[in-house]
Amino acid sequence: MKKGSVVKKRIFPVVFMLLITLVFISITTVIYTFTKDTIALNERLRLKRAVLYAAGVQLPDDPVEIEKAFDNRVTEVKDDTGKVRYFEVRESDSTVIESYVVVRIGAGLWGEITAGVGFDRDLESFRGLEVIDQVETPGLGGRIGETWFKEQFRGKRPPLATVPEGDATTENQFEAITGASYSTSAIQDIMNSSQEYARMEILGSQ
Amino acid sequence: MAGFKIRKVFADDLGANNPVFAQVLGICSTLAVTNVLKNTVVMCVGLIFVTALSNMTVSLLRQYMPSRIRMMVETLIIASYVIIVDIVLKAFLPDVSRQLGPYVGLIITNCIIMGRAEAFALSNPPGLSFLDGIASGIGYSYVLIAIAIVREIMGSGSIWGYPLLGDWWTNWSIMVMAPGAFFMLAIFIWIVKGIRDKEEGESS
Repeated sequence: MKKGSVVKKRIFPVVFMLLITLVFISITTVIYTFTKDTIALNERLRLKRAVLYAAGVQLPDDPVEIEKAFDNRVTEVKDDTGKVRYFEVRESDSTVIESYVVVRIGAGLWGEITAGVGFDRDLESFRGLEVIDQVETPGLGGRIGETWFKEQFRGKRPPLATVPEGDATTENQFEAITGASYSTSAIQDIMNSSQEYARMEILGSQ
Repeated sequence: MAGFKIRKVFADDLGANNPVFAQVLGICSTLAVTNVLKNTVVMCVGLIFVTALSNMTVSLLRQYMPSRIRMMVETLIIASYVIIVDIVLKAFLPDVSRQLGPYVGLIITNCIIMGRAEAFALSNPPGLSFLDGIASGIGYSYVLIAIAIVREIMGSGSIWGYPLLGDWWTNWSIMVMAPGAFFMLAIFIWIVKGIRDKEEGESS
């Protein structure tokens, strides 16, 4: 093979690929650098909103008000490594704990479901549920994130059983999502296992 | 001349050479995202953005790009634009980003983008390639949006998340699952082909 041919056929494609990779990695890195703080802030805000919603607190629309409500009313209880074990929720400027929120992870159809589960201070009944992360089928299992589904858990008591949509009558029942039995069952497991977890974490540390 | 070429690009991509119902490309996302209109619209905007810019970039580089590595380069370009869409959604539309989940990343594998880069951008100037990307994206979008409107109404009784049909309506679960998209896409292609065959029959 001639020298010019080696450069054209072997070396130039490699150099071209390296250069083009460098250019596009630089562009995406710059965009990521400019937006990473906003993304981290969004994640943090989502967790704060989830904790307040699960605790049954009326959510303000303004993100700044959400931050303020969280800072005034919620205390994060952490372990020795700094990991949050549970959240204590009070009335503003009060020392009396109104409710607790634990974050639980369960197995959904396509991946993990992360949920915030709120309890009354006696840990006997649910304050609420917020789905923090899920990758269930949009429009089907993804409906676990819809308001009508989440709202039905307020005041319910574990252990919970599922009934068809529109049929829940007792405090131990909740309405399943038609056509999404796996996702419904994952939420049922999360809710039912969270009471024992909350008792262990909260009562065990007091 | 330029105006004629642009009109031809749009006429082709929206009609006779439509990526979805004529070339049957981009079917994975047609099945996946069309059960909810909001997700479909965001997916379509993302696809128009990626197809237009990747077409233009491939066209700009076409005279320098060694042909034996062109598909690697195209994939890199497409992936970079998809990552940009993903980052922008996470930063500025976090709720939509969460709902779309892995689908945004899957724009990379959408056959329409690579198909237009190979079939059009490699042999046309950047401006026209950019417009071809937009036209292909719109051609893809209107089919998906039409399917999504029917699927969301029948499957969830709502449109854009707002209840439309009320309590009397029993949701068709099959419409929010992939088979519902197969039925709707087949019906869509059937209607369009029927109309076009009729028009061709009348003109000949």
